[in-house]
Amino acid sequence: MDLATLLFWIVAVILVGSALLVVGLNNIVHSALALVVVFAMAAGIYLLANAEFIAIVQILIYAGAVTILILFALMLTRTVNIQTNSNPINKYWWLGVIISALVGATILFAVTVSPHFVTPASSALGYSAHNSTCPLPPNNVVYIGNLLYSPTCYSYVLPFEIASVVLLVAIIGAIVIGREEE
Amino acid sequence: MLTLNHFLVLGAVLFCIGLYGAIVKRNAIAVLMGIEIMLNAVNITLVGFSLFNTAKPYSTYLTGQIFAIFIITVAAAEAAVALAMVISIYRKRSTVDVTDFDMMKW
Amino acid sequence: MALYSYSWLILFSPLFSFVVIVFGTRMWDLLSRKSVEATATHEEKEEAEEESDIHEMKVQGPKGEDQTFLDIEDPKVPRLTPGARISAYLGIVIMALACIYSWILLLASTGVIPGFPMPAGGVPVFSYNWFTQATASYTLAFRVDNLAISMMVVVTTVSLLVQFYSQGYMERSSGYARFYAYLSLFTFSMLDITFAQNFLVIFIGWELVGLSSYLLIGFWINKRAKPDEDRLSPASASIEAFITTRIGDVGFIIGIMILFTSTGTFDFAQLATRVGTMDKALLTTAMILVFCGAIGKSAQFPLHVWLPPAMEGPTPVSALIHAATMVAAGVYMVARTFPLFAAAGPQAFEVVAWVGAFTALFAASIAMCQRDFKRVLAFSTISQLGYMFVGLGVAGSAYGPGPGMFHLFTHAFFKALLFLGAGSVLHALHHATHHEEQRMDKMGGLAAFMPITAITWLVATLSIAGFPFFAGFYSKESLIGLAFDSGHYAIWAVTLFTAGLTGFYMLRAYILAFGGKGGAWGGLWGKAELYRGEGHPHESPLTMTIPLVLLAIASVAAGYWFGIYGYLQPGASFDVGRFFADYKTWVGVVVSIAGLGVAYAIYARIEYARIHEYVESHAVLRTLHRILLNKYYMDTLYNLLIKYGVLGLSHVEQAFDMYIVDGLVNGVAQVITLFGRDLRHTETGRVQAYMIGFFGGVAVLAIVVIALVAYVK
Repeated sequence: MDLATLLFWIVAVILVGSALLVVGLNNIVHSALALVVVFAMAAGIYLLANAEFIAIVQILIYAGAVTILILFALMLTRTVNIQTNSNPINKYWWLGVIISALVGATILFAVTVSPHFVTPASSALGYSAHNSTCPLPPNNVVYIGNLLYSPTCYSYVLPFEIASVVLLVAIIGAIVIGREEE
Repeated sequence: MLTLNHFLVLGAVLFCIGLYGAIVKRNAIAVLMGIEIMLNAVNITLVGFSLFNTAKPYSTYLTGQIFAIFIITVAAAEAAVALAMVISIYRKRSTVDVTDFDMMKW
Repeated sequence: MALYSYSWLILFSPLFSFVVIVFGTRMWDLLSRKSVEATATHEEKEEAEEESDIHEMKVQGPKGEDQTFLDIEDPKVPRLTPGARISAYLGIVIMALACIYSWILLLASTGVIPGFPMPAGGVPVFSYNWFTQATASYTLAFRVDNLAISMMVVVTTVSLLVQFYSQGYMERSSGYARFYAYLSLFTFSMLDITFAQNFLVIFIGWELVGLSSYLLIGFWINKRAKPDEDRLSPASASIEAFITTRIGDVGFIIGIMILFTSTGTFDFAQLATRVGTMDKALLTTAMILVFCGAIGKSAQFPLHVWLPPAMEGPTPVSALIHAATMVAAGVYMVARTFPLFAAAGPQAFEVVAWVGAFTALFAASIAMCQRDFKRVLAFSTISQLGYMFVGLGVAGSAYGPGPGMFHLFTHAFFKALLFLGAGSVLHALHHATHHEEQRMDKMGGLAAFMPITAITWLVATLSIAGFPFFAGFYSKESLIGLAFDSGHYAIWAVTLFTAGLTGFYMLRAYILAFGGKGGAWGGLWGKAELYRGEGHPHESPLTMTIPLVLLAIASVAAGYWFGIYGYLQPGASFDVGRFFADYKTWVGVVVSIAGLGVAYAIYARIEYARIHEYVESHAVLRTLHRILLNKYYMDTLYNLLIKYGVLGLSHVEQAFDMYIVDGLVNGVAQVITLFGRDLRHTETGRVQAYMIGFFGGVAVLAIVVIALVAYVK
């Protein structure tokens, strides 16, 4: 087993373990902290996949902003018994187990055993330039930057603008919904 | 050797755990946490596809990662709005137990 | 031929008078009631009220208070309005003209008035093509021939006399104009049957006659039932009449349909030529079914039950309908279709003859014990109709419809006389006692008060019993002799015995009403002291006695039309000399006189109360008396049949309708409600429940897809 695979396994185990802690713990604040670990480990996975920019964005947004958001929400919606019973499960938990097991089994089957699945040979690490005006990006961040913003080369500017509108709407919506009643 | 299957299996497992959390938990914020886990699982899958992308052209090489960027964006926005709603409901009803949110029942 | 071809005037004139009365003079009558109320004197009003048979009914009102309702059984007006009078005059005048015309036709066709021979197949009078299909045409066709003229004379004459009589009987009745309207409608219906050329027209007339009978029997709408005298209300009686005849009509229709589908025509003349090619068994069945209609309409066993209750109608109605004409419609119909019966197997005629003979004996035995005056006459009618059918059944092609029709001809006159005389008696008793009295044990010795009625009744009694040289003698004895001559010995014995019974019960009725022990002429003519009822009865007015006298003359004279056999069937003849020389005739006379003698010996010599005591004290006699009084319990049997059979079936059907049909419809609604009520629980309002459903579905679908994709090649 080479280094990448070893690191992958370590990160993956911690990831799955903390995800189980998120859904398993009784104290919701502890769940939230386990969620932070999940986010961080996910960033580790991205690093292993040569997606450095995504990893950084993950840390910034998820482990940073979303976590704070969740913790603030937990603070504002304080319940009694926060130690023991703030994260209960409902009475159909067995149905949830069955359904998620089924869904999981289906996906796993499709991915591993199914004869229709095409497995690529190895990780490809070479790409070609688009054209003469779009030079080869030296690293992942520049590449993604070009893909998002470049006015001349092929870019995903339009989805980017739409995403910004979405964010605007979300901000306004959150403010309006979260207002105190007069 | 790291293969695509590693990422896909990991994504599947995480998705199922997130699904379980979203279905089974009674605290609204715990449900949201389950949803976040699901979204992260999807991101991992997409980034895995991007890693093993055999298409050479410039425009399609990092499709998975672009997808993941946008998912992160929208997930963040959704988390914000959802938590604002949870807080608003808590103000009205002093509970965040989803089994009590049955105003739309028959 | 113009004389015959204008006879449609006879047919349509009563219809004309019906329409004019209903839409014209009766409207005038109703509109002028108010002015009569205003101008009537106090005595007139009092008299009207007294005669109206008003009963008070005390009931509890909706709020618990006591309310009194007046039940007016026979509403009378203080004075008749001009509209009502003119209705009567119109009916009578038109019927008189029709009667004169039909007598002229009779005289012309028999040859008394020379120069007007009747063509062989009759003269078509009126024809209207209703509609034509490819295979058959439906026409309303009317024809006049000898048979029709003989019936027409009877119908118009009796109708005229009854209408004339009703002026006195229905005096000051509130429904005077309505009565004449119904009488005109009835006469039109009867003439429709008489003139009919095909089965369609006869059936139309048949049903119209049933309708008129219903209207006329139930004429007194508010009259009550009298259960202690075993009498129904007129409303119930009219329904019973209609429905019972309708039951016979089912067979009639089926018979007509069989004939139509086999031969393709309704027309009598065409049928007579075409039935030769029909399958004999089918033809016999069809004719027996057609006879079923006659069983219903002519009140033969087992459909005779409607005729006694039909006596609840006014007595002129009983005289017209249930003595002379409507019940004779069945006899006329069989006479009309005589060639068809002759072409069928011998069983058809056997059925006719045996039903007639049995009914004659059956009804005569019941009539011996009845206590109600009109009821004796009702059963007598049934019995005599049986005779007519015997006459038609035993005659065969040699004699044709002659014997049966001869008895119909004479019977119409003396039976109408009997009924009108009874009406006269009842009218007088009603005036005397101020209530309706029909029981013979409250009569007696009435001859002293009503001599004309008594004499004419005696003439009719002797005629019906077959006393020599009266009309009934010729028609009945020739019929009984014919039964012997044609080989039907059993029928001969039955009819002979019934003739004796006829004499017995008729003279019994006469003596109980008009005579009594100690009266003049050995008890035949009563004295005033023999009257067992209340009040002082007196003779009826001229409008009622003139028809009685005329009919008495006819009851003797009608028997002397010996040419009737040859008139109706060319080649047949009534040999008078042989008739008088035949020993069977005198055997019949002896039996009839024996019956009369027994009645005389019992009722004119012994007091009625003692007779009753004697019967009650002997067990055998008492049982026999009870069976006969209750008409062999046929009414009870039919009541049970309808109550448990027909109504039971209807209960079953109601249960089917309620539980299965409605249950199905309601069940569908309930299933839908069930879905709504129970499926709404899936909408819990909780997102997690929906997610379970969603992802559960995803899982199931995914498994299905994977399975299909992976393993199904």
